[in-house]
Amino acid sequence: MSGNPNTVAKQRQNQPNRHSLEKRLNRWGWIFVSLSIVLITIFVFIPMIGALIMSFQTGKGVNMHFGGLTNYIRLFHDQTVGKALGNTFVYLIFQVPVMLILALIISVLLNDKNLKGRTFFRVAIFLPCITSLVSYSLIMKSIFSNDGIFNQMLANIGLSPIMWTTDPFWAKVLIIISITWRWTGYNMIFYLSGMQNIEPSIYEAAEIDGANFLQKLTHMTIPLLKPIILFTTITSTIGTLQLFDEVQNITQGGPANGTITISQYIYNLCFKYTPNFGYAAAVAFIVVALTMLLSIIQMKVGGKENQ
Amino acid sequence: MKGNRIVAAILSAAMIVGMTACSGGGANTSSAAANSQTADKLTIWAWDDTFNVKAANEAKEAYAKINPDASVDVVSMAQNDIVAKLNTAFESGNMDGMPNIVLIEDYRIQNYLKSYPGVLSDLSDVTKPDKFMDYKLKTMTEEGKVYGVPFDSGAACVFYRTDLIEQAGYKASDMENLTWDKFIEIGKAVKAKTGKAMLYIDPSDLGLIRMLMQSAGKWYVDADGKADIANNAALKEALTIYKKMESEGITITTSGWDAGVSAVNESKVATAVQGCWYASSIKKAADQSGKWAVAPFPKMSNVSGAVNASNCGGASWYVIDKVPGKDTAKDFLSKTFASDTELLDNLCKDISLVNTYKDVASGKNVNTPDAFFSSQPIYKNWNDWTQNIPAVNYGTSTYDIESKMTEAVQSIINGASIDDTLKNTQTEVEGIVSAAG
Repeated sequence: MSGNPNTVAKQRQNQPNRHSLEKRLNRWGWIFVSLSIVLITIFVFIPMIGALIMSFQTGKGVNMHFGGLTNYIRLFHDQTVGKALGNTFVYLIFQVPVMLILALIISVLLNDKNLKGRTFFRVAIFLPCITSLVSYSLIMKSIFSNDGIFNQMLANIGLSPIMWTTDPFWAKVLIIISITWRWTGYNMIFYLSGMQNIEPSIYEAAEIDGANFLQKLTHMTIPLLKPIILFTTITSTIGTLQLFDEVQNITQGGPANGTITISQYIYNLCFKYTPNFGYAAAVAFIVVALTMLLSIIQMKVGGKENQ
Repeated sequence: MKGNRIVAAILSAAMIVGMTACSGGGANTSSAAANSQTADKLTIWAWDDTFNVKAANEAKEAYAKINPDASVDVVSMAQNDIVAKLNTAFESGNMDGMPNIVLIEDYRIQNYLKSYPGVLSDLSDVTKPDKFMDYKLKTMTEEGKVYGVPFDSGAACVFYRTDLIEQAGYKASDMENLTWDKFIEIGKAVKAKTGKAMLYIDPSDLGLIRMLMQSAGKWYVDADGKADIANNAALKEALTIYKKMESEGITITTSGWDAGVSAVNESKVATAVQGCWYASSIKKAADQSGKWAVAPFPKMSNVSGAVNASNCGGASWYVIDKVPGKDTAKDFLSKTFASDTELLDNLCKDISLVNTYKDVASGKNVNTPDAFFSSQPIYKNWNDWTQNIPAVNYGTSTYDIESKMTEAVQSIINGASIDDTLKNTQTEVEGIVSAAG
């Protein structure tokens, strides 16, 4: 933010013209950003304010009227919101750490220059994340359906089948497995590129000092990757809070809202049930509040040293 | 830099709101079928290629003989997508790309009529009330005006496998005038003798509970649209039956519509309790021809007013008022689904349609037995049973309430007391109903 391009020009210029030039450059600067400011205002900020106003409205269809805090009061008594939040946090608490640790381990392994075919492995692990969310969800659904391939495999080795899609617990596990499969490679790429920036000579120095693999990992790689780990944690957290496609396609939020997420509940309130856009907007602001809260916490906890 | 962090947090939050806000607008503009500018071009939306889309196409052919100038475009679209598009268009008031005629499920129509008055055309002059069954008309009548043309009946019945029932030691006559106690008793015998389940259950789809309630003339809401959960004797009995079947082990659990159909097609269950339109799904398994039969809906013996008839699903045709071509659309419906007995009789043969148009009862195909269903005159049966279906007020929020109910059912199956659970659900449903009011 402080790397202002104006300062370079400022230094080159003689004193008398400085102010007018600075003004001119500033003007051009504003012209350049104005387009994106206008667009972001029309497409993001105005709808945001619209959504906020809408969240205070109640009523049926076109007969909406100001309802004060009605929607927000209903929200606190709505057990489905509680359930959706609970599910989202289960995904968050179990899926994000598992995925990030897995991504870290894989990227450490694939960063080894002596590993044969590492490009192949990198591509193979990254590939899931370019597949379409819907198509991979449908494939997961068919593999893990009650009489799907996975349960047939279990049956073949003499185990009893797991009710992946109809048992509330296993349905959550299935969602976690799916998103981990889809997103681990994506995060791995960040770690790999982060590791490219770590000077190899410090590893050599550590090896000469007798550091083993684990010590190198915990005392060098992870601390040096900290900004990237923070970044992936935040994006994964936000991604999980917005989780929609997988749940919608694999379990449709079932069984009995056992896997429903906040985004999906918002969608249902608008497009599946009797449309109630006011209440849906109120629920959406819960996600806003949560994302802000979580981002601030994560930056407070992990962001200190990279400033 | 602390300020930056907060700005970053706000921005990332802003992106989320942006996404939710955008998703509302996106669906609206996406359909490029913004045509029907000329009065003689009609667009019809329906959702089942083997059933109502086919019906619309046959109606299109019939109408082409009456009005050769009109060009009719039948579009097949998933029901969820139709609902999402209707919700967006009606909410925004922008009817670009919307069809002239759309099929809407009976459970949902009350909401559209109450939430968006004036959006759907008054079809009182098209639909003759004395020609259609009462229970069906009631759902689409608002302040004395009829807004739709009734299409299919959802007469509920028991589809059963004669071979499996016989192996269990029961006869076709045992299946007549069933009660749920008897149904469970037969289910236990089927399980013991054949190892098959009696029926499949999808924990996210409470169609069975809905059928049970309606067989006693009750619904999630009462006649005035108020939440009717905690003191609803029919609902309590329905849940008791549901739980009993689950605990007796005569059910298998499936997830999603297709999984249920394949459980039936793959002989995993001996019966399916469904609306009569389910016949086309059962017929998919051609190798089971002749092994199926149909029995009336079982009665709840512990609830007063319960009968051997109920309803599941069913839909009707509606005209969107602001889309150009309204008069042609009304003419189309009045000359096809609202009066053409020959068309409706043919549809009975072609798509197993059970109509709610009273004159069809004397049609040729309606009275023809079906070889797939042990040569039973099933269409005639369904027509007869349709007349006994108790009319109920579906209210405006069936699917919202049902989502809460699935949670209630889950905890009841896991051992929670029915009374306590329903008391909780009552509060939640009151929240939904009052928010919609």
